[in-house]
Amino acid sequence: MADPTVTGYAEALFAVAEAEGDLAAVEDELFRFAQALRSNDELRSTLADQGVPAARRQQVVEDLLGGKAAATTTALVSMVVGAGRAAELPAIVDALVERSAASRNKAVATVRSAVDLTAEQRERLASAINTRTGRQVEVKVVIDPTVLGGVVTEIGDDIIDGSVRRRLNQLRESFR
Amino acid sequence: MRNRRIRLLAAPLLALVGVLAFAGPAHAAGATVGACMAEEIEHLIEEAHGDLDHVKHELHDNKKVQEEIEGCFEAPNPIIPEVNEIIWGGAAFLILFVLMVKKGFPAVKGAMDARAERIRSDLDAAEQAKADAQAVQADYESRLADAKGEASRLVDEARVAADQVRADLIARAEADAAGIRERAAAEAEASKAQAIADLRAEVSGIALGAAERVVQSSLDAEVQGRLIDAYIDEVAGSNG
Repeated sequence: MADPTVTGYAEALFAVAEAEGDLAAVEDELFRFAQALRSNDELRSTLADQGVPAARRQQVVEDLLGGKAAATTTALVSMVVGAGRAAELPAIVDALVERSAASRNKAVATVRSAVDLTAEQRERLASAINTRTGRQVEVKVVIDPTVLGGVVTEIGDDIIDGSVRRRLNQLRESFR
Repeated sequence: MRNRRIRLLAAPLLALVGVLAFAGPAHAAGATVGACMAEEIEHLIEEAHGDLDHVKHELHDNKKVQEEIEGCFEAPNPIIPEVNEIIWGGAAFLILFVLMVKKGFPAVKGAMDARAERIRSDLDAAEQAKADAQAVQADYESRLADAKGEASRLVDEARVAADQVRADLIARAEADAAGIRERAAAEAEASKAQAIADLRAEVSGIALGAAERVVQSSLDAEVQGRLIDAYIDEVAGSNG
């Protein structure tokens, strides 16, 4: 967490996005890309492969994000991959998200759900977490089919698990 | 002993008396018939002055000559010897008798005594040997009795030991059998428990798999939305 490389890259990405003036959109796109990288081993290994020339790897990024994400987002990802830090990109993005939320005096609530949450549900969830923990949070949704149904919320080290998967696991434990 | 000595003395005396009592005069003409006849015939030849026919005639016809010839055939007294023989014989006998009494009898007596003593000592030795043999026999019998007693005791001890060993073996075998039965029962129980646990895990796995598939198929968008709403309500409701 306190890896200075990760922190340094996160600070740099935060500064660039803020300077470009579309921090929220870039942050959100970076978060989604990081989640995709986490869940796709092939993509992660390809982008992190030092045997592949940096230009080739950056071309892959351009092919994936070009025209779909903001130019700033594509440029930042291309920069990180070109620097050979693709493996650390998810951690860098997490640090960026936390840094961004901290700049607004908020914490990050990572919400894993089988389906995306509506804007209304995100607001209600942020309010509910605030009510429960007394902390202002920004909700970041991660689509995770293994959850099956319901939601798992992680705020720092705290986990609020209301997933169907957990209930099934509880049922499995009760059979033993 | 005394009787034997008397008999030894009496025998020669009786012989002497017999000789003297039946003794008769010895034949004067000679000792044998041949010599007597030869003497008569020589006498006739001398009287006939060598005329053998006369001699033959005398022998056939003269009664007196015939009686004298026949006189030669009369045996001399077989018992009564000549007087000089009696004298010499008696003297020799007396000398021999004295010698026998003085020398022979003590020697015979000594030999007899020695023989009696030897026989007595032999008898004593035999008696002693018999006593020794009886003692040895008694000792053997005693030892035999001891040996029989010892053998009987050993047999009894062996029997007791064998009984003890048999009892120990039976007890150990029973203990082993009980242990084996207990282990078998415990293993059977453990196997049963394991089988039940395996079966339960298998059944629960199948049931949970089925439940998971049912849940997945039933989780449409509406249900997902309701679950998320319920979760938000739960987080908001459980303050703290």
